[in-house]
Amino acid sequence: MAEALLSFRSVQHRHALPAPSLFRPWGKRAGPGIVGLSLDLYEGSVLGLIGPNGAGKTTLLRMMAGVLPVQKGTVEAQFDGEGWRPVEDLRRWVGHMPEQVRWQGRTTVFEALSQLGEMRGTSEKKIQRLLALVGLRSRRDDALDNLSQGMRQRLSIAAALLGSPKVLLLDEPFNGLDPVAAEAFTALVRTLAAKGVSVVISSHMVAHLEGLIDRIGLLHRGQLLDEGPLEDVERRLGLEGRYTMTGKGTADITSFAPAGDILAHHEDEDNWSLTVKANPESVLSAAMKAKANITSWAPMRPNLVEWLCAATGMSVDDISLEVASSAMLPMRTLEVGEDE
Amino acid sequence: MSDFNRIMKVAARIRKERLSGIRLKIMLPILLLFLPGMAWGFSDPNIVLPGGHQPDTAMEVLFYASLGVVFGATMCAVLMAFDGVSKDRASGMLEVRLAQPMPRKHQATALILGHAQSILVPVYALLLASVLVVRFRMGEWPSITEMLTYALSTGLVVFWYTLFALLASTSAREQGTAIAFGIGVWFFFTFLWALVTSMVAYASGVAVGEANDPAWVALEGMLDLLSPNGVYHHLLETQLPSVDRGVPAWQSWLAALLWTALPWWALHHRMERLVP
Repeated sequence: MAEALLSFRSVQHRHALPAPSLFRPWGKRAGPGIVGLSLDLYEGSVLGLIGPNGAGKTTLLRMMAGVLPVQKGTVEAQFDGEGWRPVEDLRRWVGHMPEQVRWQGRTTVFEALSQLGEMRGTSEKKIQRLLALVGLRSRRDDALDNLSQGMRQRLSIAAALLGSPKVLLLDEPFNGLDPVAAEAFTALVRTLAAKGVSVVISSHMVAHLEGLIDRIGLLHRGQLLDEGPLEDVERRLGLEGRYTMTGKGTADITSFAPAGDILAHHEDEDNWSLTVKANPESVLSAAMKAKANITSWAPMRPNLVEWLCAATGMSVDDISLEVASSAMLPMRTLEVGEDE
Repeated sequence: MSDFNRIMKVAARIRKERLSGIRLKIMLPILLLFLPGMAWGFSDPNIVLPGGHQPDTAMEVLFYASLGVVFGATMCAVLMAFDGVSKDRASGMLEVRLAQPMPRKHQATALILGHAQSILVPVYALLLASVLVVRFRMGEWPSITEMLTYALSTGLVVFWYTLFALLASTSAREQGTAIAFGIGVWFFFTFLWALVTSMVAYASGVAVGEANDPAWVALEGMLDLLSPNGVYHHLLETQLPSVDRGVPAWQSWLAALLWTALPWWALHHRMERLVP
């Protein structure tokens, strides 16, 4: 297993919300945010941080990037191989790509990166190399206004890589990318991880992270419900070993597996589908014996709602309602009302 | 690269961006009209001001022409800096900048210097033009001390308004609020301050607007220390022996220091707590 680089222990950042009163018209109170979160980031690993809107993904990434202060807890790192040490300024080690950066204006791609490079003391040569890495070398003299959304995302990742970071944080990087650009982006993330960079990707679209992440973190209401290698978390939450079979024609699909192992099944005139959590070989052999016309047979990854249902123990209906209106829900008991 | 060099580089980038922007091109005619234009008007040998007064020294002309600074240059400073932070915040660039390992205090300093320089470059060029106009029309140069005081105090008043606009920009979530705040402060000190002065005078039992009443003159002089424009005029008056409003020069310079230090500190404080 790769070595841990950066460790957050019981960290907290809660947003300050206005709480005016007669004697304190500008009073603030601690609102939602990240509470008591512990997380380790590993060299060369890609951690997928998933959670519904309002779960705290962006707050957590901003905190990890040093943009928001860590109000409680400790942050330690062993970037230089000399053991764990408290981190004074995360920004030296962490590259951060925010969710939406509107690169705009007549400034050229190279100038835009150089301006940020000035703040880090990055050399021009390094900027040229970064442009080549993200595939923008031929666009270096183009105005920002002339870039497509995919190119802007690549420019954002180049900006995040300016300081040769040990940890790269990507906040919803697939937003607005077409499938071709998304594929190119995925390849780039894999390249960086192969070089030893620890990558954290936040997303509420689990499908985008398929095949890219090797660890997963489930974030909900500012708390990390579970985190670890994908298979381990799946096993812990009972989401492993699920398969979906689809086919054409008619078949007695409920006979392919014991009733208790069938998670879902659907039939119409020409097609059918069956989702089971059972020994895949026995289901397949039962289907073959029944001479079913199978068109696909594949393991099934859980979607965001399934992950959250499994982690919280809530029903699909409850969790769907909560995800849809999470912004309006209060934080769970933790220190609500405490003045800052 | 040292911290100082980094700050200066970032400031230079902001200055370059602003100086080459279309906004300055729009404001340049206003500055031309208000700075050398006023110097041209007030240096007319036949000019008679209200009250029958005729400016007869170069410094006096520059003092009257400073109205152009109060009306034109300060407004341009606000217009130049009102979106210094709010624009980046709206586009997401603020988060990218705050994620760079440059201390926020240094980023704030670069922001202030960059924006102040971008308005001071044209203002100083036009002040020089004003002095040349006065020399051409009156055949007289202001003294070195007078010129230095004029340049320094003009630089300071423009700097203060830049700070106010940037402060507004850090507080505002949208650009409309930022510009409303900046222009509001400018309007208050430029147009409404006389109203404040009158109200305080009335409440204190001083005859309002009586230019020959020493109590009115003293009160107005004191209250002017609470306004950036008033302090600007106090600083200029240190070079006009004929004007005495009961405020010694050290008080004017102390007020100038406070008008510089307090918003500077407030902006740095805001930047430290800024959330993208």
